[in-house]
Amino acid sequence: MLEYIFLLPVCVGLVTLILPPILGRIALVSTGVLHLLLSLRLWLDGGQAYFPEFFGKAHPGMLVLLLSSFVFAWTAPYAVSYMRQRPTKYEAVFSGCMLLFLGTMSMAALAEHPVVFWIAIEATTLASAPLIFIHRSKQALEATWKYVLICSVGIALALLGLFFITFSMEGAGPDIPLSFSSLNKVAPLLNPLWLKTGFIFVLIGFGTKMGLAPMHTWLPDAHSEAPSPASALLSGALLNCAFLGIYQVHTLMVLAGLGAFSSNLLIGFGLFSLLVAGVFILNQPDYKRMLAYSSIENMGIIAIGTGIGGLGLFGAMLHLIHHSLLKSSLFLSAGTIMRTYGSKLISQCANMPRVLPKTFCCYFAACLGIAGLPPFGLFISEVLILFAAFQRGLPVVGLLFVILLILVIAGFAQGALRMSLGQESDTQAALRPREKVLQFLPPLALLLSSLVLCLWIPEPLRQVINDSIVLLGGVIHG
Amino acid sequence: MIGGIEIFLAIILLSVLFSLTSSRMMSLIKLMGLQGALVSLIPVLLEIESRMHPGGIILFVVMLAIKALCIPGLLYFALTRIVIGREVEPLVGYHSSVAVGLGLILVAAYIAHHLNISVEGVHTLVLTTAITTLGGGLFLMMSRSKALSQVIGYLMMDNGIYLMGTALTRQTRSIYLVEFGVLLDLLVAVMVMGIILNNISRAFDDVDTLDLEQLKD
Repeated sequence: MLEYIFLLPVCVGLVTLILPPILGRIALVSTGVLHLLLSLRLWLDGGQAYFPEFFGKAHPGMLVLLLSSFVFAWTAPYAVSYMRQRPTKYEAVFSGCMLLFLGTMSMAALAEHPVVFWIAIEATTLASAPLIFIHRSKQALEATWKYVLICSVGIALALLGLFFITFSMEGAGPDIPLSFSSLNKVAPLLNPLWLKTGFIFVLIGFGTKMGLAPMHTWLPDAHSEAPSPASALLSGALLNCAFLGIYQVHTLMVLAGLGAFSSNLLIGFGLFSLLVAGVFILNQPDYKRMLAYSSIENMGIIAIGTGIGGLGLFGAMLHLIHHSLLKSSLFLSAGTIMRTYGSKLISQCANMPRVLPKTFCCYFAACLGIAGLPPFGLFISEVLILFAAFQRGLPVVGLLFVILLILVIAGFAQGALRMSLGQESDTQAALRPREKVLQFLPPLALLLSSLVLCLWIPEPLRQVINDSIVLLGGVIHG
Repeated sequence: MIGGIEIFLAIILLSVLFSLTSSRMMSLIKLMGLQGALVSLIPVLLEIESRMHPGGIILFVVMLAIKALCIPGLLYFALTRIVIGREVEPLVGYHSSVAVGLGLILVAAYIAHHLNISVEGVHTLVLTTAITTLGGGLFLMMSRSKALSQVIGYLMMDNGIYLMGTALTRQTRSIYLVEFGVLLDLLVAVMVMGIILNNISRAFDDVDTLDLEQLKD
């Protein structure tokens, strides 16, 4: 019975909606820890699904599940300190929706049936929209409206794609259950025309949710207007879940012998995302938007890596892991910075090393990491993807990849340096609120876990990464 | 029955064209009610055997109730409850909208003919109508500035997807797949509720998405 992994947060979340805020905080933190323990147990011990036709332990799903759970376990204590400092009338809604959000994401990660996966992704939209709107400002309303409307169109197109994929089963024989694993088994029998059409719609649909350009327009607004703990989850966990849907259908395409078609589309969308993100990161005045555009960039890199295949797939999986950890760390630090300076503008942040020494260290290090500089994990994964591009005879892709990455590094260097070197008199700095333990510990922990994973990948993790890419012809050792 | 279904499809196509020209929110909402009813009747007219079980009939009645009564009712409630201008306020003029609609029908007919499905004529027509409705909905979303009319565009797109699913899953054994499209209606309902709640609690005089343009680069 592995369904408890998502039933637990959903049930606790529903109860939390009506609990007094203080109990909600306890529920938030304790459910986060419990969920992490349960996910770890599922990883090590295994477990059988009660409804095996709907849920299962697919390998990339397990990776996404553990990542979401880990990010949530650290975000929850931060959210408590956030709520303490920025009280709102709707705290119960906030805690409840955070838990519902975790539950729906876990459901997506464990889904074995395409329609169940689709329902879970739709539910993530509904669970996370109140989080963005929690402070009820006019900007928040705009961001929420865009988020719900654009993602709903995406979701609708993805459903259409699933219809096409179902229709492609027409010739494959009767009574094949509609699930990812059984579809994979009969992949060569599926009708290629409908499968291709289905993939295009699924890519556009879930790509909207994943933030691939040009369907990304909701992402910078939603991620920058949401309260920081919610941004950390949106960026560090939700985007992975959406990617999972594309990945599953891409696997199906590769097994059906249409891998070249889907790979080219993935690479195209990926490069375009990199370009859009690079252009907007450069000279970006708002640091939360800068982080949001960087999410688009990193999702583009993951799509490129997946499209290239081989060693690139390993790179994409590593990128997924490190991006989640670093980006959620960055968004949590950004929340503290925003709390201290009361502004999202880079130009307003001055004298950071003195005012917020610990947060600053985390933030600056994670900025280096997310820009893809060594010694952080994104450097390794980007190099792997680059190698794979040349190895597989795609030098143009490799070249464009490098050029666009340089654009992103330039933008990040500019932003991070301006934030750290801004001047402010010491008297003014002394008036700023100090950082608290709960504010810098979670981002630090996420940053350090990413660093540890660069040096040492535990055996079960290596096994799961290997198992999730081997079906697509991915390799860990080039 | 064949004659019947063609008439229904023709009325759906006309409702799409008509919604592109209508300048009043109220007539747009009434049109959506009509369209919802017709769209949910199509599976019965196609006489899909699997839908003729008791369970299938119950589902059909539920779909009809949601598409023809609940959602238009909610839209009507939103329009009367909140202070909202009765004009549609298009970004693209009505005449050019109709031209786009007619173009959509041509494109849809072309696509439906070239997707060589091994079925008889009715299916191609259903597919043509479905693609037109889908495209018309998307166009309505993009070319109208009010939040409520964008939701109506989304609803039309949702109807198109339902039709498309109906056309495609006629022979497949996966019986209850199209019915999950009802969850899109749930999204529509949530969006309309959002509009209603925000207007009540925050006393905006109007939810015009042109006002929602502060966040940009």
